[in-house]
Amino acid sequence: MTMDRRSFIRTSALGVAAAAWWLEAPTLARAEGTGHLVPRSVRPPNYESVRATFTSRLTPLERFYLRNHFDVPEVDVRTWRLKVAGAVENPLSLSLADLEAMPQATVEAVLQCAGNGRALFAPRVPGVQWRFGAMGNAEWSGPRLADVLARARPRTEAAHLQLQGADRPTLATTPLFVRGLPLEKATHPDTILALRMNGKPLAPNHGRPARLVVPGWVADDWMRWLTDVEVRPDEAKGFYYETAYRFPVKPGAPGEAVPADQMRPMTQLNVKSLIGSLDDGQVLRPGAHEIVGVAFSGEAGIERVDVSVDGGKTWEAARLDGPSTPYGFRVFRHPWKPAAPGKYLVASRATDASGAEQPEAPVWNAGGYLYNAVDRVAVEVRS
Amino acid sequence: MIAALALASLLAAEPAAQPAAPAAAQAKAADAARAELLSGKLPADPARAVVEGKCLICHTGDYLTQQRLTPGQWQKTVEKMRKFGSPLTDDEVPLVSGYLGRNWTTDLPDPRAGKPVAPPKGSLPSP
Repeated sequence: MTMDRRSFIRTSALGVAAAAWWLEAPTLARAEGTGHLVPRSVRPPNYESVRATFTSRLTPLERFYLRNHFDVPEVDVRTWRLKVAGAVENPLSLSLADLEAMPQATVEAVLQCAGNGRALFAPRVPGVQWRFGAMGNAEWSGPRLADVLARARPRTEAAHLQLQGADRPTLATTPLFVRGLPLEKATHPDTILALRMNGKPLAPNHGRPARLVVPGWVADDWMRWLTDVEVRPDEAKGFYYETAYRFPVKPGAPGEAVPADQMRPMTQLNVKSLIGSLDDGQVLRPGAHEIVGVAFSGEAGIERVDVSVDGGKTWEAARLDGPSTPYGFRVFRHPWKPAAPGKYLVASRATDASGAEQPEAPVWNAGGYLYNAVDRVAVEVRS
Repeated sequence: MIAALALASLLAAEPAAQPAAPAAAQAKAADAARAELLSGKLPADPARAVVEGKCLICHTGDYLTQQRLTPGQWQKTVEKMRKFGSPLTDDEVPLVSGYLGRNWTTDLPDPRAGKPVAPPKGSLPSP
């Protein structure tokens, strides 16, 4: 049922309080009755979440971003198999029922596209022009990858996995999306083969029937529609591992090219926060507001978030919802009553448990990866 | 006297100052062209049919109209797409690179954000 503002207030026994809430939550009000995803490309489907998504620990499925290199494959779960082969004593071909029968684990972890924030780099770089919303936090459930690999019994020389899903490019000449993962991370007890997301079976766009969940690491490792795990002594082969998704060992000046032998595969996400309760250009009423957002860091967990309402000249510690989790969002909150009407630059800056702090400027790189500069939102308070 | 006549003749041969109306019309046309770009449309050009026929095999036009790149970055991108299998001919590579490089430049504002939409088909679990 939908209800406009007037009828909501009229019919509510707490009409006055409701009206106050409405004024203090304009972002929520704007989102009412519409979708919550911004299309970056319709085909393949690349959609990012709006800022207002990022005020809660878990990201609702209908607000979760979508990232695809190719068209979403149509997978028949009845005939789908996960094959584990290569440097193993016991090659496997497992059905969904086989995976469902194994002990299940649940891990809360942020999925973030390595290119989230690419549109904010200067100089600009090619690729999907994500701004803020190519990230989300979910509870993922399924068997541990370590348990699956234990059944296959990797041989002593095993050191890496090569991963492939069911998606295929339109043209046979386009490189397949093949990725790699070191065996050490693959066998970490928190690395799972997710069958469920926020308690529901995976949707086709999220990798049904099974996707890899590599907590704390960039999303390109979280292979969807996983069909082939090749256990290898050496690293994975293919364009998307050997050339793409690499980050400079020693970044140069913005715009400066870095030689290929100085590029390495990305692994962990970096420390980041994002304000969700405000949006750029938003006009607020005078009075009390709460600045709310989320923060996360690869494998470290968030220890502190500072908030500034003067563009970063002064900072105050925000209150953190708890407890901290190693891989998930941590919600921060900060009360704010603007002293006077005018323009304000509101900022947030996260610090993780290892002491890493969100920087003023991102590390520029030609792929536009791992943008994590201090978040800033320009708003105006008007009577 | 002859020199003065010659100078007068030269001055007379100088084109008159552009009237205000064409300048305003040019500015209006430029604004319209920019608005068309920001709306995500592919402007009319001999390269447009090539883009539609050979680039949009694998992706929709928004994949390229969201980019803001230098001519050099566009050229590298088109060459990369050709390596990926786009059936562009030798002649079409500079044609398409030039078209993209002239239009989706680094000084063009970002695309206007449309209204947020509901998840596309296949994004939510089956009921």
